[in-house]
Amino acid sequence: MSELKRTLLYEEHVKAGATMVDFGGWEMPIQYPEGIISEHLYTRSHCGLFDVSHMGRLIIEGPERVAFLQHVLSSNVLALDINQAQYCIIPAEDGSAVDDAYLYRFEPDRFLLVVNASNTDKDLAWFAPIVKNYDCTIKNITNETISIAVQGPDSEKILKTLAGVDEVTKPARNNLSTLMMEGHEVLVSRTGYTAEPIGYELFIKNEDAVWAWNRLIELGGKPAGLGARDTLRMEGMLPLYGDEMGVDEAGKPMPIFALALAKFAVSFVPEKGDFVGREALAKQAEAQASFKAKNYSPEAMAALPKRVRPIALVDRGIMRHGMEVYRNGEMIGWVTSGTMIPYFMTEGEGENVKLLDETGKRAIGICYIASDVPVNGEVEVDVRGKRLKAVIPSKHITNNVPPYVVPVLAKH
Amino acid sequence: MTINPEMKYSRDHEWVKEENGLCVIGISDFAQDALGDLVFVNLPEVGDAVTAGEAFGDVESVKAVSDLLCPVTGTVAEINEELLDAPEKLNEDPYGAWIIKVSDVTATEDLLDAAAYEAFCAEA
Repeated sequence: MSELKRTLLYEEHVKAGATMVDFGGWEMPIQYPEGIISEHLYTRSHCGLFDVSHMGRLIIEGPERVAFLQHVLSSNVLALDINQAQYCIIPAEDGSAVDDAYLYRFEPDRFLLVVNASNTDKDLAWFAPIVKNYDCTIKNITNETISIAVQGPDSEKILKTLAGVDEVTKPARNNLSTLMMEGHEVLVSRTGYTAEPIGYELFIKNEDAVWAWNRLIELGGKPAGLGARDTLRMEGMLPLYGDEMGVDEAGKPMPIFALALAKFAVSFVPEKGDFVGREALAKQAEAQASFKAKNYSPEAMAALPKRVRPIALVDRGIMRHGMEVYRNGEMIGWVTSGTMIPYFMTEGEGENVKLLDETGKRAIGICYIASDVPVNGEVEVDVRGKRLKAVIPSKHITNNVPPYVVPVLAKH
Repeated sequence: MTINPEMKYSRDHEWVKEENGLCVIGISDFAQDALGDLVFVNLPEVGDAVTAGEAFGDVESVKAVSDLLCPVTGTVAEINEELLDAPEKLNEDPYGAWIIKVSDVTATEDLLDAAAYEAFCAEA
């Protein structure tokens, strides 16, 4: 058993009283003394700070970098202008996911690809035989920079103060910028894994790591651990490799188009050429489109038997990863992620939404179930031997109008 | 971490207190801190038999489920129904938020007094 890796912020986490755990070979904070619920709610109302330095950071450069990325990623890399980022998946030939990733273009001639910490070595091994055919290189720079996610309604104000600018990045999601913050160069991306309408990920030089973390705290950010990161992403239906991607509980590969967001991550434009998994993905995309039109034909059900959906428990209890889901007594899939998640009561609508002091909590999660279960369909979950009633809502939150996430409570 | 000198403790971090002929059972401050934010409690029903060393219910944090192990053998006389809607009381006031009261106790685990429990936690 090899020793756990530590990020340059390890000492800061320990000093703050964090509970440290093994995550993908890294010793990371799962929570700080205030706890997961408090960290979740602080991110939704103010600003959570997440050490994401453990994630794999790869630089792809060389004359054929675009052709290589077009071949191994699901997205259309040519659509990326300078200072833009895109979500993408690394497909296998059968149309399942090797990993999911974010591709950033801070500079004209090179790309930054950020992958899951626990998959970094696997991804590098996957790329190795393919990249040999292209005039470009992949360099693992994970240990050369750190990364902090700054997420929530106050994040923009904090970064404006730190950089002394009026605009951190262009307003919409997936915009990038390179800013000087009190004399330190920081790469900034309007992205994140919390479903917050306003949130950023920072790439920071190693020597600036402790300075950046502590300045962000002084300006009103609060450290949040992997526990809150998981509840925040779950509420926003953001998939996690190993839960909603990879192989299912029966050991079968999960098709990429089982995920609703696949339609934003996979591109079939002609200039992308024949990329890995294209044929399988095209069939899955057709099935997903057919389901959207409420057509559950045998062909579509065969191409995409199960889909990743939100699930909300109606009876009292908590759902967890791996629990079986039933419809009329028939097993139709599994809970992939689930726990009890806190939320703020809100009043008003759209940009006038206000968070109230009052909070609630709900047993919600994500499941991978038969594709023909309709929205608001009723199912049951086997919670340690008890069949509890649950419902399949269309979503758990809305987050399309900044600055606040608004919970959507399941009807039943 | 606080240890209430009025209680006795099991090695599974439950506390036990005698009150009006009943055994009152809860979890220690050490236990609630280690478990983290509690968000759900499964309790037995009044009249259920409980056995020393076996689970009488469970508590769930955001991250995990943990069994509640009973330090005594007997019959459940009362359950703290308030916890069903407010499991966070176990975090906020571990020595005030009792979980069950047991009657007709026929066996009790070898329990630790406060000083011995403090030493036991220090080694944990």
